[in-house]
Amino acid sequence: MNRNLLRILAALVAVAAVALPAFAGAYPLQVARNVILYMALAITWDMLLRSGQISFGIAGLFGLGAYASVLGVLRAGMSPLLSIAFAGAFAGLAALLIGFLILRLRAIYFSIVTLALAEIFRIVIQNLHDFTGGPEGLVLDGVILGGSASGLYWLTLAGLAVALGASWWFEKSKFHFALTAIRNNETAAKSSGIDIFRWLLATFVITSVIQGFLGGIYGQSYGFATPDSVFDANFTLLPLAMALLGGIHSTVGPIFGAVLLGLAAEWLKLQIPYGHLVVYGVIIIIVILFIPGGLYGLIKKANRASEGRKA
Amino acid sequence: MTTLRTEGLTRRFQGLVAVKDLSFHLDAGEILGIIGPNGAGKTTFINLVSGITMPSSGRVEYKGRDITYMPAHERARIGIARTYQLIHPLENLTVIENVMIGSVFSRGKSLKEARRSAEAICAELELDRLDRDTAKLSMLEIKKMEIARALANEPEALFLDEVMAGLNSDETKQVIGTVQRIAAERNLAVGVVEHVMGVIRELTQRVIVLEAGELIAEGPYEKVSKDPRVIEAYLGGAA
Ligand SMILES: Nc1ncnc2c1ncn2[C@@H]1O[C@H](COP(=O)(O)OP(=O)(O)OP(=O)(O)O)[C@@H](O)[C@H]1O
Ligand SMILES: [Mg+2]
Repeated sequence: MNRNLLRILAALVAVAAVALPAFAGAYPLQVARNVILYMALAITWDMLLRSGQISFGIAGLFGLGAYASVLGVLRAGMSPLLSIAFAGAFAGLAALLIGFLILRLRAIYFSIVTLALAEIFRIVIQNLHDFTGGPEGLVLDGVILGGSASGLYWLTLAGLAVALGASWWFEKSKFHFALTAIRNNETAAKSSGIDIFRWLLATFVITSVIQGFLGGIYGQSYGFATPDSVFDANFTLLPLAMALLGGIHSTVGPIFGAVLLGLAAEWLKLQIPYGHLVVYGVIIIIVILFIPGGLYGLIKKANRASEGRKA
Repeated sequence: MTTLRTEGLTRRFQGLVAVKDLSFHLDAGEILGIIGPNGAGKTTFINLVSGITMPSSGRVEYKGRDITYMPAHERARIGIARTYQLIHPLENLTVIENVMIGSVFSRGKSLKEARRSAEAICAELELDRLDRDTAKLSMLEIKKMEIARALANEPEALFLDEVMAGLNSDETKQVIGTVQRIAAERNLAVGVVEHVMGVIRELTQRVIVLEAGELIAEGPYEKVSKDPRVIEAYLGGAA
């Protein structure tokens, strides 16, 4: 396909995304905000996946960020915007400490430990009654930006922009080479001078900062945080399903997947309550079994085949 | 000048001693053959020298510096490069990207500079159509790419673990010529593991022979090949 055409198309989509509040009502904006949030999480999950590490801990860092920001406002008197930045920094610091312990693990061991960590965060926060409000959680006096629907939408869009920017930077920089080499063959990577642990740690911290930052945006957007809401397993499962469906190891794949699955989920939620969860499960299984490259992978393959015919 | 030296290098795997009390040296500008029957410990020895495996005891020295427990990626940076007996193409990177990574991470070059030096190395090895996926390469091209990737580290010591395996005799001749040329131009210290004795005879100035992890003979190929212990080791292995 023509590169310039794609660029123009992308610019148009970006403009439409920014301008959406001008012509969409409250409900579509709310749906779009959800899709955008999950899209951003899906992108960060994929960024770490490019090194071959499968994290099941998104909800953990997201929830940590949500609590950090709500606590920042309530206990430290931060402004809501500052508290969102603080949420990113806090999640990043947590990831740095955890990373030293767990980034020597590989494959299923790494995945399970990230899953367990997310659960540990939730349990610890739930039991620090005096500080975190326990199972009932914490409520803010008000929602950020006065709860304006378009304001909240733009705030979430800004979160997505951070994730997109980071992911694009990964694709264009040494990260792309380091992470792909580590995923393909760690031994060959080492022999080419790649300090595997350092690159994994950097990637884990960067993606966690963004996940915490998104958690902060979420906490401030709803004006509360409870263990069950911000550590919900959906924050891990949905982004994962979206990235798998759209196509892993790229920025574009998770975008496709999030739009498709996000809208489908919204529709399904109305048709069959909780049925959407079954649908995610089925999609994950079908994609893994039959289209391991995801939809973007299919498109790339078709594109290459047609170019091959031309050549 | 001695580039690399080991003293009493030993590696045990549970009960098995894969490399035993091995002392050797490798000089700049020299091509050394490392031979021995299957399972003699040749690959393990290269793993020890390149930092992929850590020794149970003994010492590794590079240009007078103790590097016995230095991690592999640091050894790549100070000038020890190698290829693998089991080929390791990075299948999600193109040919040129495979070669670039040594320049990027061992030499700290920018992506642009790394691409330029990788292109120069590939031209030197007569490797072309560099934007291809590695899945489409012939065996000869894969072997060249692995050598190119090692060279991108700009090493002073280079180990080639059975790079000729899987090549026909014309291709083998071509790679022998290439190895001689790159070694001479860069004044490299080269260690070569090969099972085909014709290759060893043509390529090396000196040979060490391993059997069950032990160094049993050393010297020019012509001399070593007549050593009764070496003949015994090979016949014993074949019997
Ligand atoms: N990681 C490991 N764990 C256990 N044993 C090992 C390991 N690596 C090598 N060995 C054993 O060490 C011995 C030496 O193996 P090595 O691969 O070094 O031999 P080699 O001389 O390279 O053989 P070949 O000519 O077949 O490549 C063998 O008996 C092998 O089974
Ligand atoms: Mg071997």
